[in-house]
Amino acid sequence: MNGRPELYTSYRQEMSLLNTRPKRVWVGAIVVLAVLMPFALTDDILQLLATGCCAAIGAIGLNIVTGYAGQVSLGHAFFLAIGAYTAAALSGDPEGRTIGYGITSLPVWLLAAGAAAALAGVIVAPLAVRLRGLYLAIVTLGLVFIGEHLFRGWTELTGGPGVGRPAAVPTLFGQRLDLDGEFFTKAQKLYLLMLVLLVIFAVLARNLVRSRTGRALAAVRDRDIAAAVIGINLTKYKLIAFAVSSFYAGVAGALLYVTIGYFEPGSFNLLMSVQYIAMILIGGVATISGSIMGAMFITLLPRITRELPAVLPFISEGATGRVTVFQVEAILYGLLIIGFLIFESRGLFGIWIRIRNYWKSWPFSY
Amino acid sequence: MRAPHRWLAATVALLATVAMATGCRGGSTGGTTQEGKQGIKTDVGVTSEPCPQAIDKNKGCIYLGTISDLTEGPFKALAVPITDAQKAFWKRVNQAGGVGGYEVDVTSYVKDNKYNPQIHNQVYQEIKPKILALAQTLGSPTTAAILPDLKASSVVSAPASWTSLWGFEDVVVESGTNYCMESMNSIDYAVGKFSPKSVMAVHLAGDYGDDAAAGAKIAAEKNGLKFTDVKTATGQDNQAGAIDAIVNGKPDLVILTTGPTDAAVIIGQTAARGFTGKYIGTSPTWNPGLLKSAAAPAIKALYLQSGPWETYTADTPGHKAMRETLGSSIQPNDGYTSGWVWSYPLKAALQRAVQDKDLTRAGLLKAVKALDTVDYEGMLPTGAGKYNGNPNDTVVRQSVIAKPDDASPTGVTTVEHFFTGPTAKDYKFTKACYQ
Amino acid sequence: MTELLQSLVRGLGSGSVYALLAIGFVIIYKSMRVISFAQPAFMLAGAVLVSYLVLELPFFLAVPLAAAAVALLGVGVERAALRPMIGKPVFVISIITLGVDVVIRVVVNAYIGLDVRQIGDPWGLRTVSILGIDVQQRYLAMFGTTIVLVAALFAFFQYSRMGLAMRATALDQEVALAQGISVGTVFALSWAIAGALAAVAGVLVSMGGSIDQQLWIIALKALPVIILGGLDSIGGAVVAGLLVGVAESLVGTYGGRVSPIFGGEFAQVSPYVLMLLVLLVRPYGLFGTREVERV
Repeated sequence: MNGRPELYTSYRQEMSLLNTRPKRVWVGAIVVLAVLMPFALTDDILQLLATGCCAAIGAIGLNIVTGYAGQVSLGHAFFLAIGAYTAAALSGDPEGRTIGYGITSLPVWLLAAGAAAALAGVIVAPLAVRLRGLYLAIVTLGLVFIGEHLFRGWTELTGGPGVGRPAAVPTLFGQRLDLDGEFFTKAQKLYLLMLVLLVIFAVLARNLVRSRTGRALAAVRDRDIAAAVIGINLTKYKLIAFAVSSFYAGVAGALLYVTIGYFEPGSFNLLMSVQYIAMILIGGVATISGSIMGAMFITLLPRITRELPAVLPFISEGATGRVTVFQVEAILYGLLIIGFLIFESRGLFGIWIRIRNYWKSWPFSY
Repeated sequence: MRAPHRWLAATVALLATVAMATGCRGGSTGGTTQEGKQGIKTDVGVTSEPCPQAIDKNKGCIYLGTISDLTEGPFKALAVPITDAQKAFWKRVNQAGGVGGYEVDVTSYVKDNKYNPQIHNQVYQEIKPKILALAQTLGSPTTAAILPDLKASSVVSAPASWTSLWGFEDVVVESGTNYCMESMNSIDYAVGKFSPKSVMAVHLAGDYGDDAAAGAKIAAEKNGLKFTDVKTATGQDNQAGAIDAIVNGKPDLVILTTGPTDAAVIIGQTAARGFTGKYIGTSPTWNPGLLKSAAAPAIKALYLQSGPWETYTADTPGHKAMRETLGSSIQPNDGYTSGWVWSYPLKAALQRAVQDKDLTRAGLLKAVKALDTVDYEGMLPTGAGKYNGNPNDTVVRQSVIAKPDDASPTGVTTVEHFFTGPTAKDYKFTKACYQ
Repeated sequence: MTELLQSLVRGLGSGSVYALLAIGFVIIYKSMRVISFAQPAFMLAGAVLVSYLVLELPFFLAVPLAAAAVALLGVGVERAALRPMIGKPVFVISIITLGVDVVIRVVVNAYIGLDVRQIGDPWGLRTVSILGIDVQQRYLAMFGTTIVLVAALFAFFQYSRMGLAMRATALDQEVALAQGISVGTVFALSWAIAGALAAVAGVLVSMGGSIDQQLWIIALKALPVIILGGLDSIGGAVVAGLLVGVAESLVGTYGGRVSPIFGGEFAQVSPYVLMLLVLLVRPYGLFGTREVERV
């Protein structure tokens, strides 16, 4: 045993959360690095990373239902919206222009947001039992349109299109997290909060997908009839997949606008659903770490392209040049989706696997 | 199963350690106050190095940010000329010797908000550490989203919107009247010209449309007219509801606050279905392209255009300077006029701050609060540009009315010069109209 | 009565545009089992192209030219972005078409410019009186164009060799390949037809209005249409397209009077509500082929 530390001696060991030493080292290193970020980066980047962490929670949720359980959902924006509005309404200012109950305690509204979205997921799940593949995709897209209509119309809750309302107010142990404090700025506090939440939700998701439930979901994805034959209750597991995924979406939606402090109902549209799909496709389908990478990538992409004019002189930073940075941003977004899917369909996670395998067998790699 | 527990424990311990440690990273947003050119105090967004495109390399540089709707938002057709006009405006200021020992740069930090409050906030956070003030923040709801931060950081901003709320915010240096009083004047004007019995406000939801509708309602009540309120969304295919409401309701006058394509669809289709009432639209509703659309005959017959100042072709020193600076290569558009007018107060504030030897953010805000008058070079009536008093006394109440005209390069010519209707004259301006 | 008939005519007019768009989706779906989200971009490209061509050419020449150009664009997209993906999960390919849509629209948007563009059609907003009812000419033009195009398409699929090849490929790609049918050509042709139809739909939809960047959203109306009609039924797409158009128009006219909940913008989402209701009863749409499940 001593000479072969990597040898698995039990199934349980192979299925454990961090089953190899490099994994343990890398995860540890990344977490330490992430925790040290607030002391090295400026506030605007930190805010972006905090948003990335929230998006990652949402992407993990979508990956559970689409990546692991194989139920293509274009309705993620709808569940994000439910979470965002539940949280904002619960923690909102009772005196404000929009509905608010003044319950600012973070755990309370976060769980409520998740629960509300999960409930919506449970209501939608029966559709998934009847529909397959692209039919389901379009129907969940219908949810986004109907939801957008509802949220636009319900101005007492949402402020109405083009107006919006303040986002959820986070307090933890009586501390306001969205204001600059004595020791930490707002961005530092929120980044750390989002990071901790992301770690918690990522570990929970990882535990779910390596459990009996996770294996059942994968069986449903790979061949639902075969899964039914070996005794998996399709209705039950599709229901679980939608409920868990929507819970994550609700939590992500609740947190997503905390850093910005403001959001409007038009945000929860088809484009948002597509962004989340892009996150898991670019990150890597049916991987938790891929979801996080994809979410970070999509969140940082606009910022990266906005820095491009400094490097590429033919891009004009203004609105009037031949090629503007805004056009580059939009085109790059499209091209990246196309490129990733054509050349590396396993996404960023796949690139990481290839790099790892290269060095694993170095110098005999080819 | 031991491994995860150990790592979890380690992670938690580490997080706890960090949480106990204090943030030791230096202030990242604010620069420290320094002595700049000619003994002027400066902090953020002002350098003694010249601007990237400086005319006089010996001068320092004041950086102003621009957040506008430049790519895909509904007001792109206005926002791009506004942004270009502001570039021209500050270029002219720089050519005339700049402000104090400084030139003004409005080209380095131009960001796109897609007319979305969230993106607006995001790009604002990006440029905030590098700019002294905002030369443009386009849109009412978008600006509302960053307003708390603007106030907390004393970032003076020139808005690109006419919401009545700006009259009550010190950091926002608005120009001209607001949508609310513009609509009051429009109704008073219509009462004088075609004595309508009923008014309908067809408007986008949000501070833009709501403000105009609120003003229309006040004026309709004052004139004893029947008032109905119809909300609509932007987008050609979203107008069916508004069209049905107008055709069925048959109002004598419609106050329109939408985007240009929405307006074309609404006016064209209602006319095609037999509607003969009048329309008066607020300025963002207009685009010269409408006169080439299928709705053009209906627009010429039914439509009038209100505005907070005279159109591109007007004969004032300010308008002339604008046309000369922009040159003849551009397609005239009243976005240029608006961008140009909106820049005057910021110029006046910068000059005053330089006079006071305090070009810090706080100094600029103090200068704004002390502004007694702004020289608009005749583009606004006298008395406009007072920021140091009660909003009820300082608000500009005059607006103009124009009509569609093929001969004019921007498609409209003024028919009624600056006037204040009785409703707006008596209105007690104590809070934003729509609140 | 007049009001009802006028509402019906409006519904049939816009419904026939939805039908054209939906047929494009269905043809691509039948050949590749993929929903192409690039249709909105093709639609916008067609309309913008016509708005430039009419400056030089007569309208009735500009439209076929633009349709042909967009068809070529469709072939190019298929060859460059989709052919390498054959055999990959259909969902992934659908997302690629989303990327294609984004890229094409950015380029087309740059050509729309700042001011709104006009399609230059001969009908405008003029009305004609039929049996005492004022009807806008453009709705008749939309309906007529669609009837002609649908008839031509059915004839093509029924009587031409290539149409037969396309039907064979839709039934079973491998068997079709074994019969000597060039499946690649079928793919290219289906993208060409879908592109041309989308271009024509773009022209029809901007008649009487104008072209702006938001026009593409109308193409998404075809999504509930194809689900309602059944993903693999061209006839279903036509019927469902007209149905959705009429439903939308009637809800727009009468919804607000039934209850304020159904007023205003509710007409916009009524196709999706209709879709959800129908799917609860018929999971494969009105005319879709039921998937045979074999253990």
